[in-house]
Amino acid sequence: MVMASAAVAAVATESVLMKKTNTSHFLPASGVLLASLVLPGLAALVAATPLNASAENAPEKSTIAIKYGTYKDSQPGWDRVQVDAPQLYVQAPIAGVWALEGSWVGDSVSGASPRWHTQTTGASRMSDYRNAGDFRVTRFFPRAAVSASVAYSNEHDYTSSAIGLDARWSTEDNNRTWTVGYGSSSDRIDNTYSGGDVVNQRKRTHEFMAGVTQVLTPSDIAQFNLTRSFGEGYYNDPYKTLDTRPNSRNTWIALARWNHHVESFDASVHSSYRYYNDTFGVRSHTLGLEWVQPAGRWTFTPGLRYYSQSAASFYLDPIMDAQGNYDAQAVLMRAVSLNGQNQSTDQRLAAFGAVTLSMKVAYALTPATTIDLKVEAYKQRTSWHLGGSGSPGLDPFDAQFVQIGLTHRF
Amino acid sequence: MSRWRTLRFDFSAMASPCSVQMDGQDERLMRRAAQAMIAEVQRIEQKFSRYRESSVVSRINRAAGQQWVEVDAETLGLLDFAQALWTQSDGLFDVTSGVLRRAWDFKKAVLPDQGQLQALLPLVGWQHLERKGRQVRLTRTGMELDFGGFGKEYAADRAAAVLHNHQISHALVNLGGDLHALGGRGLPESASAPWHIEVQHPRPDPAQPQAPLALLPLTRGGLATSGDYERFFIQDGQRYCHILDPRTGWPVSHWQSVSVLAANAVTAGALATIAMLKGPVATDWLAAQNVDYLMVQHDGHRVHHTQQLPP
Repeated sequence: MVMASAAVAAVATESVLMKKTNTSHFLPASGVLLASLVLPGLAALVAATPLNASAENAPEKSTIAIKYGTYKDSQPGWDRVQVDAPQLYVQAPIAGVWALEGSWVGDSVSGASPRWHTQTTGASRMSDYRNAGDFRVTRFFPRAAVSASVAYSNEHDYTSSAIGLDARWSTEDNNRTWTVGYGSSSDRIDNTYSGGDVVNQRKRTHEFMAGVTQVLTPSDIAQFNLTRSFGEGYYNDPYKTLDTRPNSRNTWIALARWNHHVESFDASVHSSYRYYNDTFGVRSHTLGLEWVQPAGRWTFTPGLRYYSQSAASFYLDPIMDAQGNYDAQAVLMRAVSLNGQNQSTDQRLAAFGAVTLSMKVAYALTPATTIDLKVEAYKQRTSWHLGGSGSPGLDPFDAQFVQIGLTHRF
Repeated sequence: MSRWRTLRFDFSAMASPCSVQMDGQDERLMRRAAQAMIAEVQRIEQKFSRYRESSVVSRINRAAGQQWVEVDAETLGLLDFAQALWTQSDGLFDVTSGVLRRAWDFKKAVLPDQGQLQALLPLVGWQHLERKGRQVRLTRTGMELDFGGFGKEYAADRAAAVLHNHQISHALVNLGGDLHALGGRGLPESASAPWHIEVQHPRPDPAQPQAPLALLPLTRGGLATSGDYERFFIQDGQRYCHILDPRTGWPVSHWQSVSVLAANAVTAGALATIAMLKGPVATDWLAAQNVDYLMVQHDGHRVHHTQQLPP
């Protein structure tokens, strides 16, 4: 189901994060070296000294991770979509200079989603299952690494396949790492199976990324990435009434991150800012803040994220009658009169703000085995839109995400 | 600014010959930096040497089994590091094991009395050191704290930090074989080339006693060597060296020498010593620490691992 894409995105983000932690761009430093940096007067020196001669080392151990996530969203008086997603991730080193990674996720999606704005009447019901897998191979060189990946995902009405290539290399002192990447995806949308009228529609995207990661001080690392993507093809949502979108969508994404180690708490602060705009007219800002606090075998990571977006240029506000109620008749008449032009009443293209509160707790059973629990609460309100009241006439929207996981290295 | 020159200052500290070599253009700055650096090494020696009555280590040792001693932040930092080394070496690197020297006399070259060694073993154990805020206490009378296991390396790193703060960017600090390089050579004809360090041969050829084991290039970071040739005696064909296993009180014998290159000297020195103590399993353990090393096994066989050195 195309409808499920928002829910699936939340889960997909998780699997991306999982991969990030397993092929960390940050320099491996030995335990003894880390302990020595706490010695008085030595940290300043290490700013001038590389922690390690190779930017990124091939993994020495295999990793297997099993996660189970569940996502549920709702608006007042109505539970909308539920997603259950078991995940598997495996990474294996080969011959010291190669790493193979593979992951699989199976989502089952069920529930209902509005055909207009946040209207419960006439919502489209759905129940679907998505299988997605990816495979990635990385070759490590002194101070550099190159990766190639393929990914495939399949639902009964939506098939997506993607390839990617990326490379990263570091300066001689290892204080700076450059990254470039290219990705391409090809999607097919066809819902005739469930009685729909979308037949064999296609969508293609090309994405280019460049970034730099800089060690600023022994306690500070900053990262900046710029991504440009070009997409062409079918962007409509077949489960919304008279939803017609442009057949191309080009985006700019700028991402800045700053990680700071707080000596006195032995903790880290991860902060990020993301800017997004696209040719639909959507412009968004995301601010993220996480506090990573180790305490013996435990690690606690509370997080806060604020998101705000402007509406797409072809998003249409609800029409209200004299009593202030949703006037479905007027909305339909407008849609029909605009038929053939770009228009959408999809809540996800409206202007709104959202806040996510999250807490992740990890516990190391042994040095090689970690279990973790992550809980996220997402609240979306039009009134939280940055610098204005956002789109009128929409109900609040909430979502919860809970994930448990087990990771083992051997 | 004037022409490039190399200056070398020799001095003696921590019972070892020491030197610093610098490439630069501002001779007055280089001399000032060297002076400040030597003062820093002497400060550390006075503060932490167990041979100095007034050192903080001597104060803690005199109070063993009795009262708490209040110490400053630098000492607390060294204690934290000692704790980390003890934990990460599974108890092999223990700054309280110096007391075993009472049983071992390398000058007289006689094996210790087993009874005396057994009596000393209960005085060895980091777990018998208590801490409470800024206060520290050895709980057993007769216990001894000794930062000798990484003191010289710590001084080499601090010395390099002093040079760094004086805007020196091409220097090599050598404190009795524990080295810290602060950037490569500076002279225009050899700009950025590494310093070349001679590593002493653990079993020198009598025909060429000065021939080194290896010539290692070092541009940045620390290099330290631990070996069974520094203090030892041989009895009935068996070599007894000064590196003692804190669990048994007896010398290690698997490695003749271990040299480690790491981001700083204190890490290199600690890893080299722990490798000597670990015996046959040291190779895997060092590899996991992401450092380069050169080790000579008891039979003369060499093991090395290189990330930054040409093979």
